[in-house]
Amino acid sequence: MKERIGVYICHCGGNISDYVDVEEIGKMLKTDDGVVISKDVMFACADSNQKDMISDIKEYKLDAIVVASCSPKLHLHTFKNVAERAGLNPTNYVQVNIREQCSWPHSDKPREASVKAAGLIRAGIKRVAYSESLDNIEINVKKAVLVVGAGVSGMKAAIDLARLGNEVYLIETDYFVGGHITQTENLFTTGQNGKEIVSRLYAEIKSYNNITLFTGTSVEKVSGSLGNFAIDIRIKPRYINGKADLQAVQNAMNDCTVLVNDDFNFGFTKRKAIYKNYPEALPDVTVVNAEALKNEKEFLAKHASCLDLTQQDEILSLTAGSVLVTTGFDSYQPKEGEYGYKTFSNVVTLPELNRLIELNPDKLIFNNKPVKKIAFIYCVGNRQTKGENKYCSRQCCSSAINSSLQLADKYKGINAYHLFRDIRTYGKQELMYEKSSKQGDIYIRFDEKEPPVVEQNEKTLNIKVKDYLTSKKELEIEADLVVLVTGMVAREDSKQISEKFKIPIGTDKFFNEIHPKLKPVETVIKGVYIGGSCQGPKNISESVQSSLSAASKINALLKGGTVSLDPVIARVNNDACVWCGKCAEVCEYTAIKEIESGDKHIAAVNKAICTGCGICAPVCPTNAIEIAQFTDNEIESMIDGFMEKIDLKVREKESESTEEVSGVKMKEYPQLWKNILETMNGNKLTIPEISEKLEVDKDIITYHVMTMHKYNVVVTEGMDKKELYYYYKLKN
Amino acid sequence: MAKVNPEFATEIKKYGAHDFNACFNCGNCTATCSLSDNNSSFPRKLVRYSVLGLESEIEASIDPWLCYYCGECSTTCPREASPGELMMSLRRWLTAKYDWTGLSGLMYKYLPFTIFAFLATALAVILFAFSKSFEVDTIMHFGHQFEMWAIIIVFTAILIPNLARMWWFVILKPKIKVKFLTYVKGMQELFTHMFTQKRTLGCDDSQSRWLIHLIIVLGYLSLLFTTVVLDWFGTNSLFIILLGYAESIVLFTLTFIFVRGRIKKNKELNKFSQPSDWLFVIWLFLMAFSAFLVRIFIDLDFIETNLWLYLFHLTVLVQWAVLIVPFGKWTHFLYRSFAMYFEKIKQPA
Ligand code: SF4
Ligand code: SF4
Ligand code: SF4
Ligand code: SF4
Repeated sequence: MKERIGVYICHCGGNISDYVDVEEIGKMLKTDDGVVISKDVMFACADSNQKDMISDIKEYKLDAIVVASCSPKLHLHTFKNVAERAGLNPTNYVQVNIREQCSWPHSDKPREASVKAAGLIRAGIKRVAYSESLDNIEINVKKAVLVVGAGVSGMKAAIDLARLGNEVYLIETDYFVGGHITQTENLFTTGQNGKEIVSRLYAEIKSYNNITLFTGTSVEKVSGSLGNFAIDIRIKPRYINGKADLQAVQNAMNDCTVLVNDDFNFGFTKRKAIYKNYPEALPDVTVVNAEALKNEKEFLAKHASCLDLTQQDEILSLTAGSVLVTTGFDSYQPKEGEYGYKTFSNVVTLPELNRLIELNPDKLIFNNKPVKKIAFIYCVGNRQTKGENKYCSRQCCSSAINSSLQLADKYKGINAYHLFRDIRTYGKQELMYEKSSKQGDIYIRFDEKEPPVVEQNEKTLNIKVKDYLTSKKELEIEADLVVLVTGMVAREDSKQISEKFKIPIGTDKFFNEIHPKLKPVETVIKGVYIGGSCQGPKNISESVQSSLSAASKINALLKGGTVSLDPVIARVNNDACVWCGKCAEVCEYTAIKEIESGDKHIAAVNKAICTGCGICAPVCPTNAIEIAQFTDNEIESMIDGFMEKIDLKVREKESESTEEVSGVKMKEYPQLWKNILETMNGNKLTIPEISEKLEVDKDIITYHVMTMHKYNVVVTEGMDKKELYYYYKLKN
Repeated sequence: MAKVNPEFATEIKKYGAHDFNACFNCGNCTATCSLSDNNSSFPRKLVRYSVLGLESEIEASIDPWLCYYCGECSTTCPREASPGELMMSLRRWLTAKYDWTGLSGLMYKYLPFTIFAFLATALAVILFAFSKSFEVDTIMHFGHQFEMWAIIIVFTAILIPNLARMWWFVILKPKIKVKFLTYVKGMQELFTHMFTQKRTLGCDDSQSRWLIHLIIVLGYLSLLFTTVVLDWFGTNSLFIILLGYAESIVLFTLTFIFVRGRIKKNKELNKFSQPSDWLFVIWLFLMAFSAFLVRIFIDLDFIETNLWLYLFHLTVLVQWAVLIVPFGKWTHFLYRSFAMYFEKIKQPA
């Protein structure tokens, strides 16, 4: 029990005191149990008052304080800091909100507002009397990070984390690193080949011996928490004998005659069943398509020294202090028949076109016919006002236009049509749009309500579209190739990943951060961060920016070897707990585990995982689990305090009078406004004049007069020509 | 349903248009154009049609003729798409389209062809003089005859059929119904425009341009009348002689001012002068100036010994009459007036 409590009640410069009788309440509470001092102050948050509070705490040896003022959202930390500076544990501080909860909403009933405020403050005093001094929880963390996904975001983050001295486990589901960007020969706006970027990053990764890369690997199981995640990973075999020499593998590859669709090229080409995505793909280790080769007994026997189809998945356990998820996106896959996709052979998606461009060095040939006229249809699978994907993918406009520029550069005599809804080439990408339209690409604007229709002619595709830039004129376009500019969607496996790490996903199925502006790479799971396009559509630069910012967040977190966490979490009374398991059942974060304690089983809370949400406390039949700072004692005493009779001598304040100055109802205004109006008394005055007369700082008068002007209480009338100040007067 | 045709852009660029593909349909050009009225989206609509290559829409449109190239649109276009220059090029393209001989198109598109045609006519004049043993009287007599016949032939064989073609593209092909009486009533519009270019008065910048233009047209027509009908070079009437002097002086002075303007490129419309624009003013200047000199030489009795001067004048005249008038920029004067006329009669009364 705290017995030397200090209470501070704030006027908020009239915001509170104009309605709530803070002085009387202050006097009344002086005699409450445990209260040593109780005062009303003009601005509790002002530096001068903070200093007074500190000296009060020291002088009167206060062991707890209550400030009744505005919302804790505004000043909780201000006063916690005051406590700390005075040598008091910040958990012995309680803030009571009598502005947003009393003076503002009940300005029409000042007396009731005062009574309510008094009750709330008393509840606060009772609660603080039961407050405990709690220290932050310190947790040892392992300086190791698991980065899930070795696309450009993951690779960049891994490199930075490793450079800063962390152990990094980088895992990638594919057998080769790099992700989507390896499939594009020319990336906007630098024109670089994605493969080159990946090769460079890979070389850098290899130069750090604290990065361990696992390819063909996925997350199997996650347990543990911030500081000590235990992660099982599953590594698929490559079916190549680890000890086989390179020449033998090369021979087997040359010898292989079984061909399968080349997924890397979207099936436009075939590849051998012993393959790499592309010749320079990294890591430089071939993979065997076991499914395709399993019946080739003779071949397998011939190359038995290097091929081994009996290999099995391997499970490996890792421990990491933190996790960075950079799993990226999937390209939207058009439905069959959407703009003729899959119904007509010459309809492809933008990523497919990019493969075609790379596969055709001199002339663009598709389905054995030269391609001259190309029509791009934008926003496919995106910005569906009625459909599932309502968002815009940000990068597809730029990407499509970049491909169009590349087509013009690489091949002769290409005509490009762009059927768009809006062109969103923000920032420097605008230059590409300008270049493209100047080079003669034709832009036609359609509306979602009247999308273009793709039909097959004898020789070509025929698109009908209403051009909104020519007052909906119906146009017909002949095209050899229709390119669907598809946007980004969340990965197909995003749900599984989210379940494993407990990362929340949005309705758009992308992973959710805590706050898009203030905590953009943090998730609600402590120690788990997200970066890149697994969080939502981003272009490469934006992806890298976000993953690097996550990397620096993680480094800051792990740097000291320990992290300090808020002590407001659940705790179990071992004697009372009978291990019924109810709390563990409701805990969404799986913070509660069953443990053995002496001769019985009880619940134990993992301090690193528990968020203090409190859902477990009420379900416990033996009342064995409670939340620090929200103990039964504290809550019940608050209720008692609030129920106590308020014996408040509320004086009949002027604020209730109907006195009027020059026709304005005075009771609605704060005191300073009334003073200003009285000073004006029907005359016009400038701000410096008012400030002088009232002896109040000019800045404060300026702020208030401007506000009064905004609410039409005063109006301007002419100007003091010499001093260049407006005259203000009361509005009639 | 209109077919999008990207080739049109390539074609129209040969007529001098450039960068109009860059248009992003902001509509600034329409907003600034002082000749655009509330519902015409002029000139943006034609920029859009050209980008899309909607040839039959453009062919049926008389909008290009309604533009007098003040250049305001090009100055304000945020994409530097030069809509004004596009309008100019569309006029050249339309001229070529109306011309049944196809020579207009060749002259606009291929400078070498134009040069060749001019040299060939010059050669023809010299050969003719040679065949007449360089006899001044015969040659001058022929010159006079030539002028009369040239006017008749150019009109009947070329200009009238071309106007008929314009009529076909603008009224008949798009199946616009016009009553006979409307045709007659609209005549007044036709003549007002032909002689005064009234529409330019709507342009913000061009009160003086309009006046100079009017004087040049009147000067040109009356000089033509004075030489052809009143036989300026043959007459003894002092009045006619002085009249001819006055007309030619006015004409070559004003055209000289025009040429200087083009050289200085001080106005938007002069920024991208094409060979055809140069030819028109220079030849007009040369014609007036050489006529003036010829008459002086006659009055001073020099002409017998200086036949070269008359031959020079004759060459300019022939080139003007058989090349510039039927196939060059001269026709704009005609088509513009008819465009106003068609515009007038197209509107339902
Ligand atoms: S970036 Fe462009 S194409 Fe992609 S969804 Fe947005 S507006 Fe559509
Ligand atoms: S307070 Fe919430 S997070 Fe913590 S153990 Fe209880 S239910 Fe789980
Ligand atoms: S001002 Fe330029 S960009 Fe704008 S509509 Fe006109 S031509 Fe197009
Ligand atoms: S040049 Fe002048 S008249 Fe012609 S379209 Fe442009 S603004 Fe209008």
